[in-house]
Amino acid sequence: MSAADTLVQLRYRFLPDHVVGEVLSKRWTDNAIPFIALLLTLAVFGSVNPGMFTAFGMYDLAGQIAEFGLLAIALTLVMISGGIDLSIGSVFALCAMTVLTALNVYNLPLPVAVGITLGVGAVCGAINGVLIGYLRLRAFLTTLVTLVMFRSIYEMVLPKFATQIVLGMPDSVVWDELGFGSFLGLPYAFFLSALIALIWHVVLSRSRPGWHIAAVGGARRSAHNAGINVRLVVCLTYVFCGMMVAAAATLFAARLTSVGTDTGLGMEISVLTAVILGGTTLGGGRGSVAKALIGSVIVLILTNGLLQLGVIGTVSALILGVVLLLAVWLDVRWVKNRQKLIDSSYVSPAYIKLTESVNAAENPVYAVNDKLRDVQTIGLGEVEGPEDVAVDRAGNIYSGSRHGEIHRWLAPDFTRHEIFAHIGGGTFGMNFDKDDNLVVCVGGMGLYMVTPEREVVKLTDETSRSLTSVIDDSRIRLADDLDIAPDGRVFFSEASIRYTVHDWPVDMIESRGNGRIICYDPRDKSTKTVLKNRIFPNGIVCLPDGESLLFNETWACRICRYWYDGKKKGQVEIVLDGLPGYPDNINRASDGNYWVCLVGMRGPALDMMMTRPGLRRRMTRRIAPANWIYPNINTGCIIKISATGEVLESLWDKGGVNHPMVTSCKEHEGHLVIGGVSNNRVGRWKIPGADPTWSSPVDYWGAKQ
Amino acid sequence: MKLKHLMAGALALASVAGGVAAQQELSNASRDSYLSAVEGKRVVYIPMSMTTDLVLTWNAFLQRQADELGYTVDVRDPNWSAEAGARALTQAIGEKPDLIVLQNPDVQAYARLIQRATKAGIKIIQLNMESLTQSDAYVGADWYGVGHTAGEAIAARCSADGASSNKVAVVTGVPTAPVDLFQMSGFRAALEEAGGGIEIVSEQSAGYDPSKARAITSSVLQQNPDLCAVFGIWDGQDAGIGAAVKEAGMAEQVFVVSSGGGAQTSCDRVADGSFDMFIEYDARMQGQALNTLVASMLQSGREAGSEKIVYYGPNYVVTKDSLTPASCFTVDEDQ
Amino acid sequence: MSVQAGEQARGSQRKGVSLRFSQEGIVFLLTMLMFVGFSILLPNFLTSGNVIALMRSVSVLGMLALGMSLVVIGRGVDLTMVSTLVVGVVWAVKMANDGMPFGQALFYGGLLVAGFGMVVGLIVAFAEIPPIFTTLAMAPVIFGIGNPFLFKQDTHNAPQGVTWLNELGFGASFGIPNTILVFAAVALVMHLILRYTRFGRSIYAMGDNPAAARLSGLPVRPITVAQYMMTALVAYLVGIVILGSNSGINSRLAYTTLVYDVLLVVVLGGIGLSGGRGGVRNVIVGTLFVGTLLSGMTILNLSLTAQNFIKSLVMLLALIADTVANPRDEQTSQQGDI
Repeated sequence: MSAADTLVQLRYRFLPDHVVGEVLSKRWTDNAIPFIALLLTLAVFGSVNPGMFTAFGMYDLAGQIAEFGLLAIALTLVMISGGIDLSIGSVFALCAMTVLTALNVYNLPLPVAVGITLGVGAVCGAINGVLIGYLRLRAFLTTLVTLVMFRSIYEMVLPKFATQIVLGMPDSVVWDELGFGSFLGLPYAFFLSALIALIWHVVLSRSRPGWHIAAVGGARRSAHNAGINVRLVVCLTYVFCGMMVAAAATLFAARLTSVGTDTGLGMEISVLTAVILGGTTLGGGRGSVAKALIGSVIVLILTNGLLQLGVIGTVSALILGVVLLLAVWLDVRWVKNRQKLIDSSYVSPAYIKLTESVNAAENPVYAVNDKLRDVQTIGLGEVEGPEDVAVDRAGNIYSGSRHGEIHRWLAPDFTRHEIFAHIGGGTFGMNFDKDDNLVVCVGGMGLYMVTPEREVVKLTDETSRSLTSVIDDSRIRLADDLDIAPDGRVFFSEASIRYTVHDWPVDMIESRGNGRIICYDPRDKSTKTVLKNRIFPNGIVCLPDGESLLFNETWACRICRYWYDGKKKGQVEIVLDGLPGYPDNINRASDGNYWVCLVGMRGPALDMMMTRPGLRRRMTRRIAPANWIYPNINTGCIIKISATGEVLESLWDKGGVNHPMVTSCKEHEGHLVIGGVSNNRVGRWKIPGADPTWSSPVDYWGAKQ
Repeated sequence: MKLKHLMAGALALASVAGGVAAQQELSNASRDSYLSAVEGKRVVYIPMSMTTDLVLTWNAFLQRQADELGYTVDVRDPNWSAEAGARALTQAIGEKPDLIVLQNPDVQAYARLIQRATKAGIKIIQLNMESLTQSDAYVGADWYGVGHTAGEAIAARCSADGASSNKVAVVTGVPTAPVDLFQMSGFRAALEEAGGGIEIVSEQSAGYDPSKARAITSSVLQQNPDLCAVFGIWDGQDAGIGAAVKEAGMAEQVFVVSSGGGAQTSCDRVADGSFDMFIEYDARMQGQALNTLVASMLQSGREAGSEKIVYYGPNYVVTKDSLTPASCFTVDEDQ
Repeated sequence: MSVQAGEQARGSQRKGVSLRFSQEGIVFLLTMLMFVGFSILLPNFLTSGNVIALMRSVSVLGMLALGMSLVVIGRGVDLTMVSTLVVGVVWAVKMANDGMPFGQALFYGGLLVAGFGMVVGLIVAFAEIPPIFTTLAMAPVIFGIGNPFLFKQDTHNAPQGVTWLNELGFGASFGIPNTILVFAAVALVMHLILRYTRFGRSIYAMGDNPAAARLSGLPVRPITVAQYMMTALVAYLVGIVILGSNSGINSRLAYTTLVYDVLLVVVLGGIGLSGGRGGVRNVIVGTLFVGTLLSGMTILNLSLTAQNFIKSLVMLLALIADTVANPRDEQTSQQGDI
């Protein structure tokens, strides 16, 4: 290896370029612009306005954030669902008046007063909600009209109570504490609001109702078609919005203990400004509690700071307007370009020098032949993408499909078939366990099991999160192939943690070692990552010794052996290197050897490119994905190897007539059943001279009791 | 260390020498104590918005005296928002200035905050609108008086023999605003005192918008072609009343009464006949009274809230006959 | 009925044959109902004087709505109109009162206003910020530029001795106040522009489908800028009318919710916020609706608060009636159409 090569290798090993794309693709980077704006605002106003960071300044600010933040969250809720609520200012005034009237005029106990206030907020919200959600009125206009309506109700009622509100004194310690008390130097209201904000954060980001809200806002039609009760969801967002406004109004009332004629007037504008500044999009689908809070803090610091500096009111409104424009402009740019940025920086090729491939001249076993031409085709046109196949004790053939179904081709002639189970994700590797359950790797979903009674059971879909990984690698994205150790443990490969089922070939451009082998233990239902950073680990087969397995590393063109138990536990040895193609699945043969399917053959150009990560990077940055160089995965072959890595035989379909594409094969009763990830058929080939009674489940698990 | 002492000593000597020099001239002890009492003090001024003639005039007065006497007046402009005003007041309480000059947007908005400020030992002068909570001082117009004066004039005119009728229209600003309420109660009381007989045919709010005032007035004139008088609540808005009356060609018949702080624009309206009578609560007068109070508050050592001073400025009536160039003033926009 | 009637209504709205079932039709019907009702119940409602006064009182609103409709049809919205007119006119008046010839001052004011419109248009067209935010943010920016940098005080009297201004506000031709005639003229010009010029048709195309308009080669960005400039100039014209009819102007107008009233007139008349629909007739229907309602309530001597309440209720009724007549369903709703 030349010095230059070594340098390149070191550079790509130690400079983690892939982190850039991974960080960018995190959801929280969506808040980058608002967050930077927040820091800038803090820095600027903190330095020109020393009063801000004093104890009193913080107390005051925290109290305002408590109210304003709740309002921003309220509006955010509605905006995520694709609506808007301009009436919040009027509802706020109504609610503040309600709670003060209840306490100061009618001397109701605090909980009752707060209950009534929340009720008023909910009723106002429900009026909006029914009109917009159920009657499908336009949100903007409707709430503009209800803004006037609620306001006029407020103005009609206020004069009746105004004086009594100010003169009355509620006899409630809790109320006074809520308004003026403090804990750790911050008002109680702040902690109360923080709690409410936290609850909403969890609801919006981690619960079904929250996702429904985002779904309705993001794609109303799809949400409707997916069975979400769109009208109810929309209506409820307004109801909750009203209640949140009522909560904010209660805190406001506790703090100021009076309302005036212009309470809440124009509030919708400043709250809207805060929400937009935070990065919530008008029109729905995008928004979060964090965004709402960031926006609120910016707006509050700005307005307070400008007020404090003695800036004329109209000028501070001007400054606020300019800030809003700038923020929205940056945000529009950010939203528009973020995905582009991720797309162009996510793929980050690594250095890999493949071992020279063995060709037919060196090893005549690889000589191309036509053996696979007389494959019997099963279910031509009826199945799409059977990546892997399995054969049960009765000889029925099972195959996966792109449509998320498992087909069962009935023995003996395989002309009849049925849908054995519907799983929902692209099904890959599958194998029977001791109890004849079909264990399946499902792309995007994880490890599943189908019982003989056709019940689909999820075994696992997550493993422990690794500490150094930026992207969340706990979720299993691309479970590929599996085998079951004699003790029942399921070892399965996850080909890549950086790519999903849809773009698995892109992982080849990287060839970094994004894959891993995971062990699921049915005894305690635990899932553990046992081997990391493998280059697209694919096929897995457990050896009869009960302590090791063979696995294929597709893009590294090699077969390795891994000891999961015994003296060599944890060790990995290369069994066979320099394969002429990309190995996919590996399975047992009747004679104690192993069938390995090569999904495609290597070419010198791509081999060379593997040592030129810079070249590949330029390729991914500058030309469209459709024009990238990908490995050939149209024509491959099946080889038979011994457990020690000796190549014994190869099977080809030279003309590409019947079965050129193979990703998996299983031997059963003298036949080889063949699957291919882009095939529209399952193949069945008679193996000359093979044991016609040999069946993999019987051989591995023993005869059925 | 030594050097510092030395310098301090030198400074002390210099100041003594200066004192001696001053004493050689005619000494005015009370003037000196007056100046030193206010010098370096801090006043926070929270108006409603730095756009109206009143606010700008008060500000001009405040700033001028502050410059002369060497204290500072910091303006916090909430731009019509009571919310922002409350925030400014809360912040001001935290800063503990020597005095807060506060224009209440209504009687309730700052009521509790004023109590808080008093408790914190900060003196507050309220402007032009009394809060339900009294503080150290109030300077402002006598709203009731304005309404009463208007009522008296209108009652006199419309119950006279030559009057077209006894019908009167009122155009208020915002019905819930206390300024309006006080004026209206004064107005009604005056009509009562005049023995009734005057009928208020319309009482509408124009929301301080002259265009709306104009629309309302023309509509009322359509309904009551024999209308005798219109009473408007604020000169900025009442321009529309004058315009509507003029348009209907009823300037002779309909008596238009308005009130305001006395900016030149209003006197122009009197001159061109839009207003038949203008009741002026002179902002200059208020500004002077305000300055007097500010100076005395800054000097006084008494506790905040211990005494409550109220000063209602006088109301002047300006009509075409009594109009002089000095009746109104031009707002000093450079302050 | 629902879908078919809705389709018919939409079709007829374009052809202008029938008013049935469209929002415009519903609002028109309501207007007629109110008009007849008031005429019977209120003794002095149906006099020529009152009808003219009614028209007069809403002509300002109507003209602003005409300007607004121009951008709304192009799938925009302009919340800066009132700030723009206030700043432009007040500045011009202040300059005139400081000694500049009024014509010259008005010209400078017009330049300033066109400049504001252009900035708004440029931001919408090139920075691609949604119009509602652009204008929401620009309204205080424009007002903040006006006050305190161009003027400080809120009340400004019209300059003395400008007869045409006086005529504009107080005069009448053929027995009709000039203000109404100006409204009619603006409506006519706007109608001609929208229906018969390339610019007008482009606005419809843009409002209907901006992406398609752009792909088919329409200069979408220049049209957008021109749109906002025109709207700003219409607002300026309205400002001059206001100045004339009140012989003065008060900058507090910028703090009122007038611009929302304008928007409501536009939308009530049946110009959808999603653009591409409606025309001058819709604005007139919406204006008449609001005018009749306000006039009736003023005669009834209802308080402002009660008026607002009733106004909002009636508007809500109109919106609901429209939704019942033209239901929107989940499959055809547009994303981001609020």
